Amino acid sequence: MTDHLSHTILNALVDGELSEGQLASTNQHLAGCPSCTSNALYQCLLKSATAKAGQRYTPPAHLQEQLARLGSQTDSRSQTSNLGTASIPSSQSMWGFGLLGWATAAVLLVASVTITLVQRTNQRAEMASAEHAALVTEVFDQHIATLANNMPLQVVSTDRHTVKPWFQGKIPFSFNLPQNLPSDTTLDGANLTYMHNQPVAQLLYSIGRHRASVFLRQRLDAAEANQLPTERSGFHVMGFGTNDLEAVAVSDVDPVRLDELVRAIRHAQTGDQQQPK
Amino acid sequence: MPLLPSLYNVAFWLSRNPNDAEDLVQETFLKALRGFASFEPGSNFKAWIFRILRNSYLTSRTGLAAKRTVAIEDELSESGESGPAQVPEAAIDRLTPETTLLQMADRAALQAAMEILPPPLLEVILLCDVEEMKYREIAATLEIPIGTVMSRIARARAALRTALTAQQRSPREFRA
Repeated sequence: MTDHLSHTILNALVDGELSEGQLASTNQHLAGCPSCTSNALYQCLLKSATAKAGQRYTPPAHLQEQLARLGSQTDSRSQTSNLGTASIPSSQSMWGFGLLGWATAAVLLVASVTITLVQRTNQRAEMASAEHAALVTEVFDQHIATLANNMPLQVVSTDRHTVKPWFQGKIPFSFNLPQNLPSDTTLDGANLTYMHNQPVAQLLYSIGRHRASVFLRQRLDAAEANQLPTERSGFHVMGFGTNDLEAVAVSDVDPVRLDELVRAIRHAQTGDQQQPK
Repeated sequence: MPLLPSLYNVAFWLSRNPNDAEDLVQETFLKALRGFASFEPGSNFKAWIFRILRNSYLTSRTGLAAKRTVAIEDELSESGESGPAQVPEAAIDRLTPETTLLQMADRAALQAAMEILPPPLLEVILLCDVEEMKYREIAATLEIPIGTVMSRIARARAALRTALTAQQRSPREFRA
């Protein structure tokens, strides 16, 4: 046994972040590797000791009081505003007062619902934008790592009938690979990788002398639209979504040529009439 | 205020100063009260309020100073696993369960090792080990990808391990 568990796997093990499959293979490795077992034990002890040592500072009593005052001031301010609305001169009839109160309450309710909806919409847009930025970062990092590591791909083949079946049992979805690729474009192979804790098929293509990665993953959120393309540090990121899949491609090749590849892969999934160039 | 002890603890670790920690917590509570409408019901409240704390810290005097002093070091060692091993394998093999337990039992030694961690590594280790947050929650709190969370955790633990090993070799010298 020459390959020891990486620090990342050991950390994910003690942090309870391994998937079932990863956990099974890690346990299998630990059963036969005293060095990694000792390492895992150390990490486990370190985590538990850090948890205890990290609980070092307790808030002073006066801080709790200050914060309680802060909270009550905020409450009283909102109550005062409510009282202000209620303290209408008593000379008016109770009926008129009640009607006015209900009308005010209804207006306030409509206004607050509208404001909340607008805020939610803005917040969702912000969250979508943050998620999009995180996705672009991960895609970019994975592509660079694949090129920089100079490591062999997990499956090396130009044949789509070899690459696609390799993923059987490894990913909870299936995909099609295009039969006809754009000119000067070849399939180099593929990797199984993970993004946001989801298994992802990374397909590596050569477009001329450039390399392009296409990441395919199961689509979880139907609301996500095609927010790509994006450019970062000279690399182009573009993608598409189908009912079941989400695809993101990254490369430093001319975006027109990357788009041709993306369209070919999209066509293979959907079989629509939009033929690749 | 169930999260007050956690917020204050993390604030103190990051700012290294009781007054700054109090200011940070107060600012966090004020911002949380003012911006409560922006909190999505059903989402993670802890991650949300810790994100406010962390953003307040980054714009505070100590946070800005820390950013200036650790940025270059952080960039240089961002290589994570692909970089050189930070803990020599031989050092790992020499550890026996007894020495490991002795090391871990010394809370002061571990706290001293945590004190010298750069803030980006300290904050992930606090959120992961002390606050028991999942990687996804940490990524949301710190607004970084999960891969970066994982590499920072690996680097933080490697740094703690190196510091503890160094202390074990020359305890007096280290604590002097």
